Amino acid sequence: MKVFTNNISGISTLSVLFLIAFVALLFLIPKFVTSTYALHIMILIFISVITGSAWNILGGYTGQYSVGHAAYFGVGAYTTMILLQYRHIAPWYGVWAGAVVALATGLAIGSICFRLRGPYFVLASIAVAEIFRVTALNLNNLTNGAEGILITEVPPLRIGNTVITDFLSKVPFYYTGLVMALAVIAVTWLVQNSKLGYYFQAIREDQDAAHSLGINLTLYKNAALAISAFFTSLAGSLYALYVGFIDPGTVLALDLSVQIVITAIIGGIGTVLGPAIGAVVLVPFSEALRSNMIAQALIDSGLVKEDSALGTFLKDQLSHAHVLIYGILLVVVILFMPDGVLGFVKKLVAKKRKEVS
Amino acid sequence: MAILEIKRVSKFFGGLAANSDISFEVNHGMIMGLIGPNGAGKTTLFNCITGYHPPSRGEIIFDGRRMNGLHPDAVCKFGMARTWQKVRPLAKMSVVDNVMVGALCRTNSLKTAREIAMEQVKVVHMEHRADVRAGSLPIGERKKLEVARVLATRPKLLLLDEVMGGLNPTESEEIIELIIDIRKLGITEIIIEHDMKAIMRISDRIVVLNSGEKLAEGTPQEVVSNSAVIEAYLGASHA
Repeated sequence: MKVFTNNISGISTLSVLFLIAFVALLFLIPKFVTSTYALHIMILIFISVITGSAWNILGGYTGQYSVGHAAYFGVGAYTTMILLQYRHIAPWYGVWAGAVVALATGLAIGSICFRLRGPYFVLASIAVAEIFRVTALNLNNLTNGAEGILITEVPPLRIGNTVITDFLSKVPFYYTGLVMALAVIAVTWLVQNSKLGYYFQAIREDQDAAHSLGINLTLYKNAALAISAFFTSLAGSLYALYVGFIDPGTVLALDLSVQIVITAIIGGIGTVLGPAIGAVVLVPFSEALRSNMIAQALIDSGLVKEDSALGTFLKDQLSHAHVLIYGILLVVVILFMPDGVLGFVKKLVAKKRKEVS
Repeated sequence: MAILEIKRVSKFFGGLAANSDISFEVNHGMIMGLIGPNGAGKTTLFNCITGYHPPSRGEIIFDGRRMNGLHPDAVCKFGMARTWQKVRPLAKMSVVDNVMVGALCRTNSLKTAREIAMEQVKVVHMEHRADVRAGSLPIGERKKLEVARVLATRPKLLLLDEVMGGLNPTESEEIIELIIDIRKLGITEIIIEHDMKAIMRISDRIVVLNSGEKLAEGTPQEVVSNSAVIEAYLGASHA
């Protein structure tokens, strides 16, 4: 194995090749997967990868546990949708406008909330996101309040008069999501392997020590937040365009903020790929629970009889219990895999290697 | 020539004067000892000097520049760095990464920072521990790591807050040698220490604080024979 290792960042040539192959595979999937449901799940995974990874830069690397990331998601989603619906500005401009608004929002929030530390910061981040939700709920002229904004179609992307893609099927959304997800992961890698990454982690480990070592806390916390808010808002815009409908209860909800944090925690915070793994684990899992797939599978496999008490119970109730099961999963991960799924796998591999040698 | 001038510095917390009207100068290249009973205001004075809390009154002049109101990160960039009485390792990062955070104060390149960091790790004789997680180090090595980390910020003046606290005699001896080595590098040092034998041996001058006020200043010999100092430490019957 030594042959394959180059010393830059300790990444072996073999794993780079593997990564390239995997990414190539992801790009090829829509060519041979025709199931719209499978593509739908993949798009949801990509959105979750983007939000989880974006949160990770602020929460995982810099240690500022924001539980208000729905604010940036929602600001992105609303900016894009409002511009499209009421001003007829195409999303490819709206998305960037949303990102800029989210970034500015982030810096405004940061300048207030970053004075607070630990649990107080967490509470402030929740409060600020709730302010955004309630504001969106009541600013009827701009956001259409609780009714939300519904679009019937996404205009095609064209350069000049050439239509690049029409956004009628799921495939263009798949590629958009994939590219954004890869971008945020690449940015995370770049951050980790730069001065920024060192400073972010120093702030996470001990703010006072970091301060005394010449780190401008306000500057670097806001830098982390800026990157984080930017990508979270991109995910929000993508979600809005993909689903075609937003309202304060979905894109600005506390639920969403919590979901974003959980994805990162379950995958492994403070790692480049952790949140992506969290998304890959969680999105299909929660979809399966919600859509009664698990109950159906248990019945189909003959493990549980459909007309038995347990069978009817599972069929009727399991889909309602997905939040509960989610909670249990989180507890299990925190208890038995404190470094997330990725940390757990790494530990297993290290153990295996030790046994072999 | 004075690298640091403390001019009539006071610090009040509400009605409590943690430092009142303290003045002294620290010359280039010297080791200044700062001693005093618990609660004398030594760490508060360090906090005032390094920007953790601005002094309520008075001035701090470092290298000809007024430091009042500067944040700790700016103070560090100007070349004044401190260690902490209660060590603050960046627990999840390796020893060399900890030191690199200090080195990044002077460079944007990780490669240069790693080189500087490895040099400093060698200065404190921890090269064999470079890749160990800082959080798993024993106290003696944590203290040395703390020193290596501030050295990497390339300070002109180093403020060491009880670097020997909690160490066994062998470890203390290592730190004493380290302090002397650092002075040889041309770095001025102010050290807070409770180990009297050690501080008498390595300090060029000593300032004694008591109840927030400066009680005495002088060479170690002058200070130990000062009756006010003896009274503060041992009580009036010994003075």
